[in-house]
Amino acid sequence: MKSLFKSAAFGALAAATMMAGAASASELVITFDDLNPDKKAAYDAAVEAFRAANPDIEVTANNGDREAHKSTIRSALQNDAPDVITWYPGNRMAPFVDAGLFMDISDLWASDPNLSQNFEAIKPTMSRDGKQWGVPYSYYQWGIYYRKDIFDKLDLAEPVTWDEMLAACDVMKENGVTPFTIGTQFLWPAGGMFDYLNLRTNGYEVHNALTAGEIKYTDDRIRQTFANWETLLERCSFVENHATMSWQDAIAPFANGDAAMYLMGNFAVGQFKDAGLTDEQIDFFQFPEITPGLPRAEEAPADAFFIPAKATNVENAKKFLAFVASPEVQAEWNKTIGQLPPNSSAEINTDDKFIVEGMETLSTASGLAQFYDRDAPAAMAQAGMEGFQRFMLDPSTLDEVLTELDRVQGEVY
Amino acid sequence: MAIDGTAALRGAGHDRFATETGKVAVSGLVLLIAAWFLFLVIDAGVVQSWLGYAQRGDARVPTFYIRFALLLLVIAAAFTLITSTAYYKRNRIRLAPWMFVSIGLVFFAIYVIIPIFQSFSYSFTRWDGLRDVNGVWTGEWVGIQNYQRLLEDPNFYTSLWNNLLWLVLYMLAVPIGLGIALFLNQTVTGIRIYKSLFFFPFVISQVVVGLIFSWAYNPEFGLVGEIWSWFFCEQTTNILGNPTTVCSVNPPNILGNPDVATYGIIAAGLWPQIAYCMILYLTGLNNVSPDQIEAGRLDGAKGWKMLRHVILPQLAPATFLAVVVTVIGALRSFDMIATMTQGGPFGSTNVLAYYMYDQAVGEGVGRYGYGSAIAVVLFAIMLVYISYFLWKMYRDEREGH
Repeated sequence: MKSLFKSAAFGALAAATMMAGAASASELVITFDDLNPDKKAAYDAAVEAFRAANPDIEVTANNGDREAHKSTIRSALQNDAPDVITWYPGNRMAPFVDAGLFMDISDLWASDPNLSQNFEAIKPTMSRDGKQWGVPYSYYQWGIYYRKDIFDKLDLAEPVTWDEMLAACDVMKENGVTPFTIGTQFLWPAGGMFDYLNLRTNGYEVHNALTAGEIKYTDDRIRQTFANWETLLERCSFVENHATMSWQDAIAPFANGDAAMYLMGNFAVGQFKDAGLTDEQIDFFQFPEITPGLPRAEEAPADAFFIPAKATNVENAKKFLAFVASPEVQAEWNKTIGQLPPNSSAEINTDDKFIVEGMETLSTASGLAQFYDRDAPAAMAQAGMEGFQRFMLDPSTLDEVLTELDRVQGEVY
Repeated sequence: MAIDGTAALRGAGHDRFATETGKVAVSGLVLLIAAWFLFLVIDAGVVQSWLGYAQRGDARVPTFYIRFALLLLVIAAAFTLITSTAYYKRNRIRLAPWMFVSIGLVFFAIYVIIPIFQSFSYSFTRWDGLRDVNGVWTGEWVGIQNYQRLLEDPNFYTSLWNNLLWLVLYMLAVPIGLGIALFLNQTVTGIRIYKSLFFFPFVISQVVVGLIFSWAYNPEFGLVGEIWSWFFCEQTTNILGNPTTVCSVNPPNILGNPDVATYGIIAAGLWPQIAYCMILYLTGLNNVSPDQIEAGRLDGAKGWKMLRHVILPQLAPATFLAVVVTVIGALRSFDMIATMTQGGPFGSTNVLAYYMYDQAVGEGVGRYGYGSAIAVVLFAIMLVYISYFLWKMYRDEREGH
C-alpha cells in the first residue's frame, strides 16, 4: 500500500514538473518520408538552412521509411499530427482533403509572390475544390530511356512518330534485341505504359476524364488506346516474365544489353548507373507521337509538403512551406536528388543531360498528368493496373478486362 | 458446499470477512486519481507536451512508459479495492479465478470480440478508413450494397476458389507428415539429426520460406530456371557481346502464370506444414503402446493392417490436432501470398484474407466497408469449422469424465 501511495505521489509530482518545464518557445515539427541517402541529405540540408534563417524556431525534423509512411500518415493526421508532413498531390491527397485532415493554404499561395508566380504549371495538381492544399518540392519527368550503344550499332535514330518507333522495334527484333523491358509485379510500371499510350492516342483531356470517372473503359477512344497497346505488344515485344519482376529486376536485361528501351521515371537513372551504365551508353527520348497533331502531355509526378489540419504551429509551418518553395532551396534540393524543381525560376543542374532533357520535356508540355495511381482513386487504380497487367500477359482477355474495369469504376466514383 | 463452509467460519464470530474500510478508501482514491490521469493522457500528445517534446518521434518511448505505469496503477488499485471487500472475501474461491482471467478477458474483448462486431457494422458502410479533424466518422451507411457487389466481383470468386484449393491441397500435409514420421520412427545412428533436418522448415519463418521459394521458382536465375537451362537453353553473346541465355523453349514462370501460381504458393506452404504434421505424429508414435503392437503381431497383423487397425487408432488425437492446425494454416495463408505474389498476377492468387487486406488497408485502396464485408464472409466460413471443433472438444471432454 505504502509503495502504491509513493508511486502515485511521485507520478503527480513528475507530471507537475513536466508541465512547468514545457517550453513556450516557438516550435515546428516536420515529418518527412524518405531515408534514401540522397533524398535524406537534401531534406536535412534544407532543414539546416531553415534553422539558420529562423534561429527563434525550434525545429524537430522526423524522417521515416517511404512505404511505411503510406500507412502511418493516416494515424498521424488523425491523432498526433506534426506541423508539416509529406504526401502526394493529385487524387492521392483527395481522401485527406475531403475528410478535412489537410489545411487549406490558399491564402499562402495568394500572398506569397513566389508561390503565386513561379508555380503556375503545377498549381492545378495542388488544387482541389478550387483551393490549394500543399507546396511541391520536387518532380520528375517520365519518358523512354534507351541504350544509345545499341541504337548506334543498329543505326537507329530516336523515334519521333509511332511508325518510326514500330520500325525501330522491327530492326531490334531482327537483331535479337528485345525492344522493351518492364517489371509489372508491383503493377505501377504497367500504369505508366497505359498513361503514355492513352495520352498520345487521346490526349490530356480524355485521359483526365477517364481517371476522373467521366468516361468508360469500354469507350471507343479507350479501346483505340488498347489497340495501339496490342500493336506495341506484337511488334515491340516486352521481356518475358515481366509479371514476376520488380522495376529494379527489369533493369538487369537493360543493363546487359538484352533489351534496349525502358519507359520509366527519371529516378531510374541513378539505378541504371549503379548497374554499371554510363552517360555514353544511355539516353532519353520523349514517348513518340501517336495521333498526329495532338498536343503533347507528359507524366510528371510531384512530391509535396502539406499542413495537417491538427497542426499546432501553423504560422511556422507556413513559413517553412514558403521557404521550401523559394527558388534557391528548390534548386539546391533537386540538384542533390537529381530531379526537377517545380519552381520555374529555380536553376537546374545543367551538367546532368537527363535533367536538361527533362526540363525541356516538361516545360514545353501542354498538360501534366500525375500518374495513373495518383490521378485515379486508389481503388480504381488498383483494379486498373491489375487489368493492364492481365492484358499485357494475354491481350485476348481485353473485353473481360474492360468490362471489369467499368464495373469497378461504377462502384468507386 | 463452499457456502456451508464460509457460513460455518462466519459462525466462529471473527471479523476475518469484514470489509477493510481503510484499504477500500485508499485504493478507491488511488483508483480515481490514476484513472483520471490515465484518461487525461490517453492522447499521446498531452504527455509529449508535458515532457517538452512536442510530438517528436523519440518521445514515444517515455510517453508509453508513463501511460503503461498509470495503467498498472489502475489495475493494482482496482484489485486491492475488490479484494478488500467483505463480499470478495466470503466468495474468494469462486471469484479468485475470475480475477486472474479478467485482464485477459478485457484485452480479448478489446482486440478480438469488439472488432468482430465492428467489422459487421462497417460491412454495411462505405468508408475510406478516415475520421475527420474532430474525430467524426466520415463514412456513410449503404445497407447491403457491399455484399451485393461482392456477388458481382470476379476477384471475390477467385479468392473463394483459391481458399478452397488451399483447404483441400493443404490437407496433403497430414498423410505426407504421417509417412515421414513413420519412416523416421526408428533407431539408427544419427536419427536425431535426420529428424531435425526434416523439422527444420517449420522453424523458419513463413516469410523466409516464401522468399526461398519465390527465388527457386524464378525462371531467370532460380533453381527452376537453372535446371531448365540444362535442357533447353544455351549460352550465347548478345548484340553488345555480353553473355546471355537463349532458350528454345521458355522456362515456366510459375508465379507469373495465373493458372499455376496458386499451386506454386501452396507447394511452398506445404513444406513447413508437412514438418509440423510430422512432429505431431512423431510425438504421437512415442505414446503408441508396445503391448498392443505385440498383441497385434501375435494375432498375425503386419504392414498395412498393423498400421490401419493398431497404430492409426492410437494416433487419433495426433491426427485430430494435425487436421486442426492444417485447416487453420490454410485459412490464414496470408504471409506466403504477401511475400511471393501480393495476390498477383492480376489478383489470381488472392485468398479471402489477402483480398480483404488488399481492399481495406493495402496501398491505400481504403475500401474499409468492402474489406469488412469480405472479413464477415471469411468469418462465417471459419465459424462453421470452429463450431465443429468446439463441439468436438466439448464432447470429448464430457466423454473423458
